[in-house]
Amino acid sequence: MSERHRLRSLGTLVLLNGLIPIRTQPLYLVNLLASPLSFLFFIYVISHGALLAFGITGGLVLTMLTAGTGLQSDLTHYRHDLKFQDVVVASPVEAPVYVVGMALSELVYSLPAIAVFVALFLVKGYATPDSIAVIGGVLLLVWGFATALAFTLATYFQDVRETFMFSPLISLVLTVLPPVYYPLAYLPHWAQIVARISPTTYAAALVQCAVGIAPSACGQSALDWAVLGAVTAALLAVAAFKARWKEP
Amino acid sequence: MTGPPIYVTAAIVSKGLSKVYPGSSSGQPALSDLSLEVPAGGVYGLIGRNGAGKTTFIRISATQLEPTSGEVRVLGHDVRTEERAIRARIACVPQESRPLYFLRVEEVVYLYLKMRGLPPVEARRRTRDVLDELSLTEYRRRLVNRLSGGLRRRTICAMVLASDADLLFLDEPTTGLDPLARREVWQAIRRASRENRTILLTTHYLDEAEALSGRLALVERGRLVLEGSPSDLRGRVRYPYRVTIRGSMPRAELEGFGRVSDIEGGFLVFTGEEEARELARRALGAGARLSMGPVSLEDIFLEVVGRSIEEESGTPADEADDAEDRGVRA
Repeated sequence: MSERHRLRSLGTLVLLNGLIPIRTQPLYLVNLLASPLSFLFFIYVISHGALLAFGITGGLVLTMLTAGTGLQSDLTHYRHDLKFQDVVVASPVEAPVYVVGMALSELVYSLPAIAVFVALFLVKGYATPDSIAVIGGVLLLVWGFATALAFTLATYFQDVRETFMFSPLISLVLTVLPPVYYPLAYLPHWAQIVARISPTTYAAALVQCAVGIAPSACGQSALDWAVLGAVTAALLAVAAFKARWKEP
Repeated sequence: MTGPPIYVTAAIVSKGLSKVYPGSSSGQPALSDLSLEVPAGGVYGLIGRNGAGKTTFIRISATQLEPTSGEVRVLGHDVRTEERAIRARIACVPQESRPLYFLRVEEVVYLYLKMRGLPPVEARRRTRDVLDELSLTEYRRRLVNRLSGGLRRRTICAMVLASDADLLFLDEPTTGLDPLARREVWQAIRRASRENRTILLTTHYLDEAEALSGRLALVERGRLVLEGSPSDLRGRVRYPYRVTIRGSMPRAELEGFGRVSDIEGGFLVFTGEEEARELARRALGAGARLSMGPVSLEDIFLEVVGRSIEEESGTPADEADDAEDRGVRA
């Protein structure tokens, strides 16, 4: 397959799983906007506006995480119910093209949420060249590991209903319990240690530091980058080895 | 007189192919030492009961499933090590596959072709042609989720038949289609086979297998039982002729000619060609009405397997296919 053909396949997958379903059901766009905006609203009200900045940065992280993990339902449904993956396997489309195409298609659903949070980010004056670079890098890594996680999990799910069960759990473990929407320092010491199991803790620390809302989060940025990068690389490797293109 | 050399190549060659599904509780093979050669060009029919191993063979050949042992070469390439070369030249309608429900009929075909790398103009032309051929043009703007099951199946067949693949795997493509729609798919399959493409077809409809296939393989419990052209297969059964007698004749006399079954108002006798002529002469002499002809594929199947193709296999191979359906893995 030539590079031109690969690009054509990739674009077609984005159209097929991203843009066309939205044409059929525009509410998909609102759906992915609902959760981060709900959190933002809740945090704003409870903190009397004091934690608004955390709500915005947390919303960005959650949006990118959902853009990745949301893929597990589509992959499972396409594989088991529609046999679409079998159709694609028996075609010139290569596995990496399918992976990237499907991942990008899922990102399309998150565009309104990204737009809203970026707009808030700009309005609140958080944007500097440094913060944009840091946040862009962090969000890319979050999307990367979430997508890898989705591909790996989808390999083991036998039914799309299993993904409905896992999605809230993933959300809880990666965005609600870790300090994505609040500073790490708010947690008791033992909980801070537990929170460090989640890669989103490191992502949130980097974002909160870049925006300047949690100076205490800036103490170990190098470590945060290293952990986030390592987790992403590890999950991508697991996905590459475990996610099945061809059945055993 | 000598002409240019003719190179006859096989589209698929399997040697000693076996498959045991990792999740199979009995460990029994879904395919067992299956050796088969599917010639290039034309339609090759793979028939057998549910769980006989047909889908397993297709999935291994289409590089969707790993074989346990043995060798399979597709278009000259090894399914284990040269998948990319194979995938560039194949297309597949998996069993029970459905088109993406949020697409329009024409999008199902067009986007599939574009995904395969065809230029938009070519993809559009092929889409138009295949929708016309399968009488789907009037539904082209309709969403798949508003179609009947038969139209959905026809749409997914159209998608693959419109492709540029040299080898098409069609796993029960006409299941759920009405007789007219089946004939239209047959026409498209015949047209594709005339374009020097190879089509590996599995079907439960033995009339379909007979009508379309230049050669056939009968698989039972993961093993190859019979292989050849429809006329070859007739030549290999004990009784290649069937005589239907309506009227009264002594059963004992009929049994001297071959295998006799009771039917409403008479008998069905399976016999040889010479015996069929003699039996016809006697039956007409006795005032009975009769019809005679070569046995059907259904008759051959019944004689070889001992059961109808409609009956579930209930074998370890069936369990393996069930395991596959359930997605059972280690």
